Amino acid sequence: MKEVYVVGIGITKFSRLEYPLIEIAAYPSIMAMKDCGLSSVDHVYVANMGGSRLSHQTALGSALVDHLSLYPAGAETIENGPASGASAIKQGYMAVASGVHDVVMVTGVERMREANSLEATDFVASLAHPLAEQIYGVTLPSMAGMFTRLYMNKYGVTSKHLAMVAIKNHDNAMFNPNAHLRMPITMEGILTGPEASTNNPFVADPLRFFDMCPVSDGGACLILATKEVAKKSKRPMIRLAGVGQATDTHCVHERENPTDLPAVRGAAEKCFKMAGFKAKDVDVAELHDAFTILEIVESEEVGFFKKGEGHLALEKGYTSLKGKLPINPSGGLKAKGHPVGATGVGQAHEIVTQLRGEAGERQVKDAKTGFTCNFGGFGNNVVALAFQKEK
Amino acid sequence: MEISILGYKCSKCGTIHYPNRAICRKCRNEQFTVEPLPDKGKLLTFTHLYNPSGDFDVAILDLAIVELSNGVRITGQMKIDKPEIGMKVVGKIEKVRKSGFQSFKGMVFYKA
Repeated sequence: MKEVYVVGIGITKFSRLEYPLIEIAAYPSIMAMKDCGLSSVDHVYVANMGGSRLSHQTALGSALVDHLSLYPAGAETIENGPASGASAIKQGYMAVASGVHDVVMVTGVERMREANSLEATDFVASLAHPLAEQIYGVTLPSMAGMFTRLYMNKYGVTSKHLAMVAIKNHDNAMFNPNAHLRMPITMEGILTGPEASTNNPFVADPLRFFDMCPVSDGGACLILATKEVAKKSKRPMIRLAGVGQATDTHCVHERENPTDLPAVRGAAEKCFKMAGFKAKDVDVAELHDAFTILEIVESEEVGFFKKGEGHLALEKGYTSLKGKLPINPSGGLKAKGHPVGATGVGQAHEIVTQLRGEAGERQVKDAKTGFTCNFGGFGNNVVALAFQKEK
Repeated sequence: MEISILGYKCSKCGTIHYPNRAICRKCRNEQFTVEPLPDKGKLLTFTHLYNPSGDFDVAILDLAIVELSNGVRITGQMKIDKPEIGMKVVGKIEKVRKSGFQSFKGMVFYKA
């Protein structure tokens, strides 16, 4: 297999964007082409979950090729729920590693804010089992609420720990000009103060408003290429060192141990095995914190901390920007935002930015290895990626 | 006609699946028999979902995962004042959702 490098990157602000879906895809793609100086690619992968339902547009791969005049490049649209982004990167990786293509564009895009929040939540809930979950009104926040209650009961995680994740990630987002929620929050304001229950009401108890990611529009792009192309681009040599993916039962109630996320564990194991380094070697990570509990649990399942001890590492500041292993320096889904199809590409964009040393005030010092976890469904399809800086 | 929710029992290894699937997750057999799921069980976990979509005419929708007496787990709605993990519950099949002219029946759990 050939080695695969990230040669170009681009991203929009994650926010409400008043542009058509294809423009949101085009902007970061053009940015990525300019970043590496390439004006043509062999293939385009577009990651998107809701274009057909929310924007009445399908075949986004073909549409992006046309918009950017990249013909006759091949093109596909990749849909894998909220893990579409990392899935598309994995497809791009395989295309270059196999030798089929030398340069591929992977663009993630989503435009969700044109729907109201109930419609957007209902659209994401369409990934649940139609007869055994959807008919009851199960949404992703409700799955996370039920999961969190069990986790608290078993491992001693409290609402305070969840609030600490939110506060940390909002603080990080203050240093990220592309983040959706650039507003600091305090423990008093969201949990312990007299106004906390008004500021931060329950959504799916025990989870509250500030335990949830926002609904965002946004796009992000990575251009992947062979070592030969990467060297010519004269950008820092960032290797996509590992990709791993694993699946689990469609219905959450069928999980053998309902507080485990084995697909996260499996994806990370495969990813690290391919990358040739271990969880303990990671300098910076972006984990899929659509709900605050997920950052804690994923940090355990991928191997950063022992099972049931993720919240203790958080308490000690290990995962903060100046800690031993900064998690979600971008602000994470929690504060950077969660345009579902773009999220996995956005995570990779942040890691490449960090490994290049271009992250400004949120730069993790001397970061040489990075990791992302893109979590689809409620843990039924997870894609992990590992990146390494080379001299 | 009495309505029941069906479990799908593998005719080879006896594993009961809910919902159905084409191939047994334990032994990969493709033959199943159906049998009604029991109505009694214990509460595994729950949540109070605030502001559910317009298909539910309540401000707070209570959802639960229950482990039934045969060990099969099921997601359903819950109408219990003070729910606690591990408490005994009994399920009834009732209307759980109305979407336009369509309505759906499913499992609603009460305190046993």
